[in-house]
Amino acid sequence: MSTQYTVTATPQAEESGSVALAVASLPASFGPVAAGDAASISAIDGAPGWTTEAIKAIDGGASGIVVVNPVPENTAALLDAAEAASAAVVLDQRWASNPGLAGAEDAVRSVAGRAAMLDTVATAAAGTDPERLLTEHLAAVVRVTGQLDGLRVLRLGTHGYTVSGRFANGAPVSLQGVLSNSRPAGVDFRLYTDDGGVSIAVPEPLAAWPAEVRATGPQGEILLPTLYESAHRTTWRRLKEHLDAGTLPSDLAGFARLTESIAHLS
Amino acid sequence: MSSHSQAATRPLGVGILGAGPVTQAIHLPSLARLRDILEVRHIMDVDATVAESVAARVGANHSTSMDALLGDPDVDIVAICSPHQFHADQVIAACRAGKKAVLCEKPFAMSGEEAARISAVSEETGVPIIVGAMHTFDPGWLAAEANWGDLPQNVHTIRSSIVLPPNARFEDFATEIITRPAGGTPDYSDVEVIKNALRGGIMGLAIHDLPLVRRFTPDFEDLEILQARHVSPFGYVISLRSGDRIIELRAAMNKTWKPEWVFEAISDDAALRVDFTPSYVQAGSAVATITRGTGTRNATGTTYGPFEHNGYEGEWRELAQLALGTKQPPSAENLINDLTFAIAIADATVDEAAAEHTQHANSHAGAHS
Repeated sequence: MSTQYTVTATPQAEESGSVALAVASLPASFGPVAAGDAASISAIDGAPGWTTEAIKAIDGGASGIVVVNPVPENTAALLDAAEAASAAVVLDQRWASNPGLAGAEDAVRSVAGRAAMLDTVATAAAGTDPERLLTEHLAAVVRVTGQLDGLRVLRLGTHGYTVSGRFANGAPVSLQGVLSNSRPAGVDFRLYTDDGGVSIAVPEPLAAWPAEVRATGPQGEILLPTLYESAHRTTWRRLKEHLDAGTLPSDLAGFARLTESIAHLS
Repeated sequence: MSSHSQAATRPLGVGILGAGPVTQAIHLPSLARLRDILEVRHIMDVDATVAESVAARVGANHSTSMDALLGDPDVDIVAICSPHQFHADQVIAACRAGKKAVLCEKPFAMSGEEAARISAVSEETGVPIIVGAMHTFDPGWLAAEANWGDLPQNVHTIRSSIVLPPNARFEDFATEIITRPAGGTPDYSDVEVIKNALRGGIMGLAIHDLPLVRRFTPDFEDLEILQARHVSPFGYVISLRSGDRIIELRAAMNKTWKPEWVFEAISDDAALRVDFTPSYVQAGSAVATITRGTGTRNATGTTYGPFEHNGYEGEWRELAQLALGTKQPPSAENLINDLTFAIAIADATVDEAAAEHTQHANSHAGAHS
C-alpha cells in the first residue's frame, strides 16, 4: 500500500486551488493533517512572496509544496532549498496545468516548423489584473509551443492586452487578453499551418471540464482524448508520483524561464 | 392579363459588368434563387467568349462593351464585377445611364477622391448604390443588429478572424467556372510583394468585415496601428486602437478544408459573436449569438440563425427593393466612410508591415552572419 501524505493549506490556497476537493478526490494518496501535527504537504497561494513562504514550509519539514497560480518571482533560492531538502515543489497553474496540454504539446510541436500564424486569446472576468492574466496565458502558451521569440507588449490596460511574438520560423504570434463577464474564462489557442493546424480550448480549473485539442490536416480533424480531470487534481496527482518515486519536478526551472520571458517583455 | 399588370409583374432586369469567377460563382447562383423578382438580361465581359458563354447559362444578351450594356433598355439594375480599378468610373456611368440601382463589388473605389465623385453623381442622379460587402446584408448579422441594444456604445474589443482555403475550392462548390485568373508564385522576400499582398488582403478580404467593425467604432478616423504583419502565403495580423477601442484583425488563407469566419464585439457585460458561412457557397446565413452576463459563470446567450439565405442573396433582395422604390437607399456618406476607413487601415498597415518585414529580415541576416 502506498503512503498517504498529510496536507495543510493556507486559506488563500484553499480558495484559489480548491485544495479540499482535489485532496478528497485522491483519498488514498492524501488526507488532512490531524490537529497539532505537522503536515507533509503544504499548499500555498502564489501571491507575491510565495517563494519565501515555500522556503519557510520546507524549513518546517514539508516534503512537498503545491503553489497555486504563482506570480513571476525569482525562484533561485527556493530551487536551492528544495534540492537541499529533497522537497518536491509543484506549480498548480490556472491553465498551463490542464492535463490536456500534454497531448496538445505533441500536436503543436509536430507542426510548428510549418506554422503560418498563432492567434491566441485569454478571457477573464472584468476587473482581473491584466498582468496576472498575461502570466497565466503565456504560461499555457509556452507549455505547448516552447520558447517564443521577440515577445513584445503592444498594449496593456483595463480591458486586456495584446502581445506580439514570433515562432522560430518567423511566423507571427499574437496573444490577446480580453476582460469581460460575458464570455467564459479560458484560453483559446489557434495555430494555423499551410494545410490545417491545431486548436486548443483550455477551460477554467473550477471543474473537471476537459481541454479540447483538435489537430486539423488534409485528412480531416482529430479530437484528442478528452481528459475529465481538473488542473488542480492533475497537479496533486503529479506531486504524489514524484513523492513516491523520490524525484524532483522541473516546475521551478520551467517557471524561471517564464519569469525571465515576462521580465524581458518590452 | 393586361399589359399594365404584365409590366408590374415582370422581374427586374439585371446587367452584369464582368463575367469572372465572382459573377459565375456568386451572383448567378444567388439570382437563380430569386427568379420571381430578378432576371439576368445582359452579361458584359471584355473577353467575348466568356461573355457569350456565361450569358448562355442564363439566356441573357452579351457584349464586350460597357456602353452596350448600359444602353440595353431591358437592364434595370447594374452589377459591377470588374477589376477594382474600373469600379468608380463604371458606377458613375451606370448612374448617368439612368439605371434604377447599382451594385458595386467591394471596394467601390480605390481612393477618397473617387469615392467623392461617386457620391456626387449618386446625389445628382438619385440612383441608389450599394456595395457588395455581403456580410452587412446577412440575415444573421441583421438579426443581431436588431437585438444588440446598447452594445455599440459599450464595446471595448472588436475581433475579425478569417481562415479560408483558396477561392477556387469554394468556387468549384458553387458552380462550374469557365475562366480563372492565372495564379503566380510571389517572392515574399521582396518587401514590395509583402506590401501589395497586405494591401490586397485589406482591400479584398478584410473589407468584408470593416463595415461591421465600423459599426462599433465611432472614432473611426482616430486610428493607431499597434501592429501589422503579413501571414504567409496570404493573410495578416493587424492590431489597431481607435479611441478607447481595440480592433484585432486576423486572416490566414491556406490549403485547409476548414473555413472559419468569426466576428466578435465585446464589452464588459455583453458580447456578440457572429459565425459567417464561407464565401461563394450558398450555405445559409451567419449564426449570431449575443451573450449577456454579470459573471463568467452565469452569462446567458441568445442565438439568431441560421436563416436560409446568406448576404449575397440579401444584397440582391435589397437591390430589388431599392429599384422598386420600396426601401430607402443607404446614405452615400456611410459608404464613403466605410471606404475611407478601409483605405486608412491599408495605408497605415502597409508601411508598418514593411518595417516589420525588414526588421525581421535584418535580424535573420544578423543571426546567420
